[in-house]
Amino acid sequence: MHTADHNNSQADSVNRRTFLSNGGISLASVALSQLLCRDLYGREPNALGLPSGLANPGALPHFTAKVKRVIFLYMAGGPSHLETFDFKPELNRLDGQPMPASYTAGQPIAQLQGKELRVQGHLTKFSQHGENGLWISDFLPEHRKIIDKVCVLKSMVTEQINHDPAHTFMNTGTAISGRPSMGSWITYGLGSECDDLPGFVVMTSIGGRNPQPIATRQWSAGCLPSRFQGVEFNAAGEPVHYVKNPAGVSSLMRAQVVDTIRKLDQHRNQLVEDPEIATRVAAYEMAFKMQTSVPQLMDLSDEPDHVLKMYGATPGDGSFAANCLLARRLAERGVRFIQLYHRGWDHHGDLVKHMHTCCGLTDRPTAALLQDLEQRGMLHETLVIWGGEFGRTPMFQGKGGPGRDHHIKGFSMWLAGGGIQPGISYGATDELGYNAVENPIPIRNLHATILHLLGIDHHKLAIKFQGLNLRLTGVEHAEPIRPILS
Amino acid sequence: MYLPFPLPIYISSSAGPCVLKQLPNRPRLWPCCCLAVALCLLAALPSSAQDFSQDIRPLLSDRCFACHGPDADRRESDLRLDQEDSVLADRGDYRIIVPHQPQASQLWTRISSADEDSIMPPPNSGVPPLTAVEQSMIFDWIAQGAPWSTHWAYAMPQEHAIPDVDGTNHQAENWIDAFIANPIQKSGGEFSDVADDMTLIRRLSFDLTGLPPTRSDVLTIQEQGPLGIQRFVDRLLASTAFGERMAVYWLDLVRYADTVGYHGDQDHNISPYRDYVINAFNDNLPWDQFTVEQLAGDLLPEPTQEQIVATGYNRLLQTSHEGGVQPREYLTIYQADRVRNLSAVWMGATVGCAQCHDHKYDPYTAEDFYSLAAFFADIDEARHFDVGSDSVPTKRPPEIPVLSRGQRQLQATYESRLQQLLQESDSVTEQRQKIEASLASLDASARLSMITVAIEPREVRLLPRGNWLDDSGPIMAPSVPQFLQYDFDDIVGDADRANRLHLARWLVDPQRGIGLLTARVFVNRLWMILFGQGLSRSAEDFGGQGQPPSHPELLDQLALEFVRSGWDVKHMLRLITSSRTYRQSSIPKQWHQEHDPENRLFARQNRFRLPAEMIRDTALAASGLLLQRTGGPSIKPYQPAGYYRHLNFPKREYQATQNEEQWRRGLYVHWQRQFLHPMLRAFDAPMREECTAQRARSNTPLAALVLLNDPSFIEAARGMATRVLLAAQPRDKDSVTIQRLFEMAVSRPPDSYELRQLQDLLMAARGEFSVHPQRAEELLSIGMSTTDRELEDCELAAWTTVAHAVLNLNETYTRN
Repeated sequence: MHTADHNNSQADSVNRRTFLSNGGISLASVALSQLLCRDLYGREPNALGLPSGLANPGALPHFTAKVKRVIFLYMAGGPSHLETFDFKPELNRLDGQPMPASYTAGQPIAQLQGKELRVQGHLTKFSQHGENGLWISDFLPEHRKIIDKVCVLKSMVTEQINHDPAHTFMNTGTAISGRPSMGSWITYGLGSECDDLPGFVVMTSIGGRNPQPIATRQWSAGCLPSRFQGVEFNAAGEPVHYVKNPAGVSSLMRAQVVDTIRKLDQHRNQLVEDPEIATRVAAYEMAFKMQTSVPQLMDLSDEPDHVLKMYGATPGDGSFAANCLLARRLAERGVRFIQLYHRGWDHHGDLVKHMHTCCGLTDRPTAALLQDLEQRGMLHETLVIWGGEFGRTPMFQGKGGPGRDHHIKGFSMWLAGGGIQPGISYGATDELGYNAVENPIPIRNLHATILHLLGIDHHKLAIKFQGLNLRLTGVEHAEPIRPILS
Repeated sequence: MYLPFPLPIYISSSAGPCVLKQLPNRPRLWPCCCLAVALCLLAALPSSAQDFSQDIRPLLSDRCFACHGPDADRRESDLRLDQEDSVLADRGDYRIIVPHQPQASQLWTRISSADEDSIMPPPNSGVPPLTAVEQSMIFDWIAQGAPWSTHWAYAMPQEHAIPDVDGTNHQAENWIDAFIANPIQKSGGEFSDVADDMTLIRRLSFDLTGLPPTRSDVLTIQEQGPLGIQRFVDRLLASTAFGERMAVYWLDLVRYADTVGYHGDQDHNISPYRDYVINAFNDNLPWDQFTVEQLAGDLLPEPTQEQIVATGYNRLLQTSHEGGVQPREYLTIYQADRVRNLSAVWMGATVGCAQCHDHKYDPYTAEDFYSLAAFFADIDEARHFDVGSDSVPTKRPPEIPVLSRGQRQLQATYESRLQQLLQESDSVTEQRQKIEASLASLDASARLSMITVAIEPREVRLLPRGNWLDDSGPIMAPSVPQFLQYDFDDIVGDADRANRLHLARWLVDPQRGIGLLTARVFVNRLWMILFGQGLSRSAEDFGGQGQPPSHPELLDQLALEFVRSGWDVKHMLRLITSSRTYRQSSIPKQWHQEHDPENRLFARQNRFRLPAEMIRDTALAASGLLLQRTGGPSIKPYQPAGYYRHLNFPKREYQATQNEEQWRRGLYVHWQRQFLHPMLRAFDAPMREECTAQRARSNTPLAALVLLNDPSFIEAARGMATRVLLAAQPRDKDSVTIQRLFEMAVSRPPDSYELRQLQDLLMAARGEFSVHPQRAEELLSIGMSTTDRELEDCELAAWTTVAHAVLNLNETYTRN
């Protein structure tokens, strides 16, 4: 038995060493790098448990990337473009008059179907700011400070008029469930830059008004392996599901259990030679690391007061402000795709009151995030996206005070950061803010732009799925929005 | 810009078409000779045999069909490369293919052209270019006369002679083995050894029941000798756990879930349908009948209640009553969902692609799509747009109250007793009242279930580009895809309008419909259940872009056997599990690693991680907590607090099941589409929005965190510890107890290394908990099962820790 013991302990130390070394192509190190999506696809498709047809999308990046990561500030519910960035004097002139039928005949309409359609003028004032005099509504005073850093897209168009499918469309490029979300595509293509956090992190803020639900489908890996799915971090309560040791289990005891599991798995592997075991050993090591790294990440006690103040963040309250600060921390640690949902933008009625709430919670932290990233020299390597799943009608809807219905034919978003021309606006809606008439931007072009900035040719990031060459940008013609690229 | 034929053959380029590197099986001498010479050489060399179905059609499909395939709208140059007559047609001064003469064939000219404007596929098309090897395969195929055959999945399965196999190492248990052994032998390999009994027992137990074997299973089989395994298979197939195991797979296909999926994701009433599926597999309901009942049970003459419950199938899709939904739009979404699911489940097809345009790769047209959709136009469902409520459960009429089989038996017993009493004197009034009360409470406990009720069919139009606002398309009558019609007219007979029953019959009729094709789709999936991968790897897609089967003759033969057996699922499973092929060891040898790393030859078994539900079941079985009760409503395991906080309309508080049903099997877990239980998600269970024919198997830190920290697994560890400690004799050494504990999880005793590691952990844990008794108390308080007070806290906590380590071993959840 002595010999066997010796072999085992030697095997332990060897495996541990190869496991920890990052170079080479030893099974264990490959396994390590695969976990949580780091640098992985395609090397050993079957050992990775990829579904049939999942293939290497080619050497990535396809060309020089402008940014390393994406932070998507997702304003769920459909913020009104007509009370944020899209100023239309004609809308005020026609306020209260019947909506010209030429706009609405044969168009999909959500809650206003069958109702009398009247024009609703702007529900707040607009003013011009920044070097290029971009229009910003009074609801977004903090945006004035950052307007020279962003590129406002005023001609977004989507295809889905109800929240749930419209979110799915924004995130996956189709309304059919079961397709990978953009964060999953990107981590599948590029992996993560860090070893102890997932490559794709999602946070949904607490606070504000009664919100629309957001399904985990929105950060699902769809038909990609589940390790590419977004991992939800919770700013309040347990930061990641099951990341805390159970009651009564000390860190020391936990370490011993994990160590025993590793030894027994490796021992078994000598007999059965199953590459999955090596992957699994690494998964446990990573899980163990995450038990420390995640709580450290979420603990804002090392952030100085002035930073907390800049964001308006109270640690642990789960607010959008706290999440913006956490997004910066995630970005610093190398997380590839960070998506912050803030819900409550669905203003069918009482729009003014609800805009005060939503903007009050998001305006300042959004501005703070851009400024903070810039001060840390990270903005040029980050793409920040602001926007929701659709916009709102130029027509009046009155559930309570004046409001607006869902609108998909023209709305606004903005982009900021690496590779984006700052301080400009692009595209335009018609004089009532209904149809995108100048340079309309379908969602697939937004997707192509995001991928392009990350150094990915959207044609090439594809997998075989149900006979299709499935792509984030779909089958119709898509291209990056080149005029806004710097 | 595509194929303006003809073009001159390029002669001069040295870097052009003839740069054929590393060609398979054929030595090549260039790259620097000119094309003319190259072509002469190519023609002169013996070419490797190219199988159209296996090698050529998939290439043409992948690289050419998008522009030269079934989709009429996108077709370029009026050329279809998916049809033989189009390919061979005389096009004036050129032909696409001149059999035996690649040099005279435009296909070869164009795929090998050096001219960027001429080469196919065009460089800017986004389609990957053909590699040199692929080009030469097409060259060889044309040189061999361009033999053509129908796409394998559309050709009816044929009877094939059982191959001859020599040598003792290929000794066959049944005819399946001959089909497997033959190509192995040709490749110079041989079957792997038969797996040891313990591995085989465990494999069978997981594959057929989804549960690990018990200790007494193992002992009984070992006592019975060679017959033991076969009896064990019979016993597993006869157990109620069998139906539960098969249901796990079926529910993935049909996208069974407990919630509506869209927007508010409220609960809907459907769990009796799950019971129906479990019972159907346990009863061994002929699978053709199983098909008919789900699609059209309501249209059968005098349907039974179970046949009505079966039609819940048509209601499983995601639905929405979100404020502002346009019913017309959603009815369009629903009909598309149904066509996708029907074609995926029964046809292994992706007909959903034809919603906006003719299918790019398969001969399904947009007309086919909408005429399939029209079958479902009679389903009564639109009321939910009005009455759907933001409550749990919401309303999805029509629904009926359903009693389980057990309840119905009880009801019958009560009723006959009541009849008896009524005939007797009134001295038994009290007894009568009691029985009437029992009957009333039975009725009250009935569960609602969504069903299909046929109403006047809605008008279904062909929607140009799938646009539901466009009324310009023709009205579509229900019909099956044009190229698969067979004798559908005969099935419809003199009915005015084809209906779901006709559709279902066409799916399973081997003479007049596509029954044999359907059988082939399903037996491939049975094979996948028993080997971890199908004979065709693409269990979800048998179309042109799917993977052709590695053993087409065997797949044909299995399909024929399935139909001939009367669609007998248990027979098929018995047959395959009794093969030598099934019973091989899964441990790869050097030969496998070198010659067949992906195991396409099946010269060994496969090993893979268990599906999510079985991981839960395994831990619960080992703990002794598992409640083996068949059917019933869904249950809610422990779940992280606040996981449902983003759900709304209405807001939801998750309440874990508070009685012994907490410990039911994974397939009974409440399936919340938008927030599937994180344990199930971590182990790749699908959200059941769409058909899932094959789950991914990932291996992630999040899954590790579940096994390490999910209270269900901590509680299971405590259960295991309790079991072994209560069974231990006072004089038992720790090593004996560890052995029992270990066997509970992996069905084998630990070796000395494993034993010592676990002993070390036990000692460390004892030290920990004796110094920190409050930690022991905390650990033992996890989960709602009571702790046995006879056991000392510190000791139980230490053993719980050891059990927890064992419950985290790879082997515990690996099916070898």
